[in-house]
Amino acid sequence: MRHQGRRLVTAVATLGLSCVVAAGELPTDSLYRLHVSLETQAAQQVGLDLYRGHTTLISMFYGSCPAACPMLMTSLQVYESHLDEAARARLRVLLVSFDAARDTPQQLALLAEQHHTDSVRWSLVSAAEPDARRIAALLNFRYRRLPDQSFDHSLLITLLDPEGRVLATTQTLVGDTAFEAKLAAATAAPAAADKVPNR
Amino acid sequence: MKPPGVRKVRRTNISFVALLAGVLLPGAAIPAVADNPFVAVAGAEFRSALPARPQAPVTVQRFMLQQHAVTNAEYLEFLKTHGEWRRDAVPVVMADADYLSHWSGTLDPGPHAAPLQPVTRVSWFAAVAYCEAQHARLPSWYEWEWAAAASARQRDARADAAWRQQVLDWYSQPAGAVLPAVQQGPANFYGLYDLLGVVWEWVEDFNALLPADADPEKFCGNGAQNLEQKENYAVLMRIAMLGSLRASDTGRALGFRCARDAAGSP
Repeated sequence: MRHQGRRLVTAVATLGLSCVVAAGELPTDSLYRLHVSLETQAAQQVGLDLYRGHTTLISMFYGSCPAACPMLMTSLQVYESHLDEAARARLRVLLVSFDAARDTPQQLALLAEQHHTDSVRWSLVSAAEPDARRIAALLNFRYRRLPDQSFDHSLLITLLDPEGRVLATTQTLVGDTAFEAKLAAATAAPAAADKVPNR
Repeated sequence: MKPPGVRKVRRTNISFVALLAGVLLPGAAIPAVADNPFVAVAGAEFRSALPARPQAPVTVQRFMLQQHAVTNAEYLEFLKTHGEWRRDAVPVVMADADYLSHWSGTLDPGPHAAPLQPVTRVSWFAAVAYCEAQHARLPSWYEWEWAAAASARQRDARADAAWRQQVLDWYSQPAGAVLPAVQQGPANFYGLYDLLGVVWEWVEDFNALLPADADPEKFCGNGAQNLEQKENYAVLMRIAMLGSLRASDTGRALGFRCARDAAGSP
């Protein structure tokens, strides 16, 4: 692990201030201000702002987690199942693994398949250290690698607006009605934009 | 547990006087910015106060840690070349509204932030960025805990009742209005200063330290509870405090120092 840590430290030093700020018009309270590199199921590098422009649910997990992570996936699917089809179509789901060593693109793809996630609107990605730690820091998500290579970690789902601002969080996997209401409101038809025919 | 502060250690009184002098005479004959070299800490296998499952010693590789907390003067130098971390530029998701709020201006520490005092009211993101700019990183919790286990004579003084009492005495001093300058206390075994006496310090994996009152239903895994070494009060306080923070939080007694992997270490 220290081997890897050292390389990463070097990489970070080379990148300079990788976590500093960006471009243009992002609000100061946007989580998309953090610049990190995520690897997708398709082995592409993307940023945390992958779904900028869409209401997004974001959480962290690790794929070999025996219990809570399958529950997290199911929970997200249940939360979005309460939306009508049009609202669901506006929603995106970003799941970030903090176990990049084991959650390879192939493994992420397998997980997505096992859970029948909607590949248009869902992405399973992994973040290596130190980016994973930074994303967790940003989300107020906690995780710790244990000697047996499992993790202790938070259960936390965060709802972001299209500009990456936090609208709501929940630590309840099923039935947080206040969170459901905010999710519904955030994915409701935009008043003006919706009148423009899509196609 | 004995109430803290029963026995006073003469040395800390001396440092208190020194700190007063430093604060009362800001600008008066203040030495050039103290060098803040990276000091080697030998690797070890030791029992951490953090719970683990199964309960087993943890290994820390040899590493380098800065001799003292990063000072206001050092942080000012960083801000001169990294404008994105000035308090009027940093995004609120990376530093809260109190970030450097005791400074007189964005590039002026002023009378309430003496050059040799530890810089405080800095967020975790800011501390990470500072260390990166030094081609360094924050220490991990285990590294910090191991470095802070040393007394002046022993690498691991945690079982030494006299040393533990000394640590508690540091903690029991009134919080006071002003922070001491760095390096007023005694050096530890490695030549590191003030790990336990002056400010709380960020660690790289602060958000691996689950809050002591964590609701088990809101965490996956059962290692979150049952901190070990309950007699090691000073360290447990650190864990509880760091575990309760958000990365954008700042505090008037919360600073940091940087670490590096040791050259040539495995």
